[in-house]
Amino acid sequence: MLSRRLLLVSGKGGVGKSAVATSLAMAAARQGSRVLLMGMVDALGLAVHLGVDDLGPEPRETHPGVYAAVIDRAQALDEYLRLQVRVPKAMPTKQLTRALNVLVETAPGVREIVSMGKPIYEAQRRVWDVVVLDAPPIGQLISYLRAPATIERLVPTGAVQRQAASMRRFLANPDRAGLLLVTIPEELPITETIDALTELAAEPLIDLAGVVANRVLPDLDLDASIVASLPPGAMRDAAELHQTLFTQQAFWLDAIGKATWLPHLFGVMTPGEVAARLTDVWEMQ
Amino acid sequence: MSARILLVTGAGGVGKTTISAAAGVTAARRGISTLVVTVDPAKRLADALGVGNLGNLPTHVTGEPKLWAAMLDVAASWEAIVARHADPEVGDKLLANPYFRAIADRFPAAQAYAAGEQMAEFVESGSWDLVIVDTPPSVGGIDFLLAPGQARDLIGGKLLRWLTGAKVPARRALYRVTARPVLRLADMVLGGPLLEEIADFLLDLRTLYDGVEQRAKGVERHLRSARTVVVTNAYPTPMREARRFFEELPEGSVVPSAVVFNRELPHEWEQISAVPANGSDLDQRSWTALRDNLLRWATEARRNADARADFAARYGATLASTPWKPQPPTDLDALADLVAASNGLDEALFA
Repeated sequence: MLSRRLLLVSGKGGVGKSAVATSLAMAAARQGSRVLLMGMVDALGLAVHLGVDDLGPEPRETHPGVYAAVIDRAQALDEYLRLQVRVPKAMPTKQLTRALNVLVETAPGVREIVSMGKPIYEAQRRVWDVVVLDAPPIGQLISYLRAPATIERLVPTGAVQRQAASMRRFLANPDRAGLLLVTIPEELPITETIDALTELAAEPLIDLAGVVANRVLPDLDLDASIVASLPPGAMRDAAELHQTLFTQQAFWLDAIGKATWLPHLFGVMTPGEVAARLTDVWEMQ
Repeated sequence: MSARILLVTGAGGVGKTTISAAAGVTAARRGISTLVVTVDPAKRLADALGVGNLGNLPTHVTGEPKLWAAMLDVAASWEAIVARHADPEVGDKLLANPYFRAIADRFPAAQAYAAGEQMAEFVESGSWDLVIVDTPPSVGGIDFLLAPGQARDLIGGKLLRWLTGAKVPARRALYRVTARPVLRLADMVLGGPLLEEIADFLLDLRTLYDGVEQRAKGVERHLRSARTVVVTNAYPTPMREARRFFEELPEGSVVPSAVVFNRELPHEWEQISAVPANGSDLDQRSWTALRDNLLRWATEARRNADARADFAARYGATLASTPWKPQPPTDLDALADLVAASNGLDEALFA
């Protein structure tokens, strides 16, 4: 999974996407990699998983080998213009940025390409062994992945057009970039994941690095007759509840096919604890 | 006579749609003429209520004389806004504009506002006593309440003013405006006449303003007087959405009448921390598996209890809960039972 330069981690909201991204970054760092973990959506979300108060646009080492940053759109736009489109420093950037901010808010694909430009730029810098991106939820992800092609159509010539083409090629190159989809074995998250897999299979946007099924319950390996023979009470209720959920999960795990399973963490509440426990799980796998 | 409004909000996947439907059945059975409105693209509400193809038009629920249901198509609602507030000529131009599509698709506020306008139509129609709104999953609950203000800003030319300076120019002046050196430079960098096109589009969009401003105030009034319940579970993402209702509630809004923890584990499990030795004739392996399973779920129940207690202590929120059931309710009676079997949900919805 982490053999590429850029790994996008996405999934339906609430399935543990940020926890999985964080734990993968921490596990890779424990193996000796220098990892940049980037948050795309909200700073606080990623920060709590790392156990720090806040994150800014400058990468900061939160754990040995793990550097973390969040994408600040204003700064990303400025960097995009200077580093990628190579707008000369002498240009009146303040007014230009204001005008371009309007463009970012209205034109299809521009906001997405500015946000995606930053992690792709970092992944190409060779400062990091791997860049892990806590990407937007699955529903928005496809429009982010399509953004470079959208821009290529919108802007017929020039530096922006060239830059978009290079981003599109980077994302589509399986040696460079990959997508990890996180899901949980329940109806809606699995249905959304299958829809996304179908869409991605039809369009060469990015290589699928894998699917992670999170919060998978353990198999009690008990005969149903044993549970049925128990006297009424909490032990029997808990066994029946577990077996019902386990059967439902098995159905959805079957529907999604090949996936890496991560265990349901009973009684673990804070995001930081979840990420730390999942890091241990990755190390054992 | 305007209908009363009940907003059922919270993060996606926590069971908002089920709670909305259950509230609808319960109200209808008490003789209150009720419309349940959902924005959920899934057909779950339709299935649970036994109405086949829900559409923007309210459909009567078979077997419940006082219950109706409707499903909002948000994209279509947004087109309805343009049709309502724009001159026909400008409206067609807007709908065909790629920038307009991008804004309509991408601004959750725009989608939520479109849903809010539609809700207001139902509320003011006088056809129902109660309108229950299952808020859109794409906008974490609270954004539904903030949407009218944001839509007004957007359409009112916030972006246009960024582009052209403090004063929004007349269309005649647009050529001179876009010819300003910075914008010309920008288009040169970008490689196309993008900003000129955008300025033109934003001027068209602005013609909606007077209509939207007036309507948005009406939608806002409805939303602020609405009774709200926030549905959640103990996982971090839904809890974060629930917290926003207490931290970012717009001024003058009614505080949520309850936070509903949906599908809770039995509360008596919270007390279980040890299990006496095997006194039955079960083999030791099976017994150990059963014991460990109970202890794991008891830990989970305590975690949920901690999350609830923390929430109640921090915000002084009233809590309600519904018990875990092996299957979500699939018919009208099961929906009504859900409210009856709950802990405090009836009061939260109707008291």
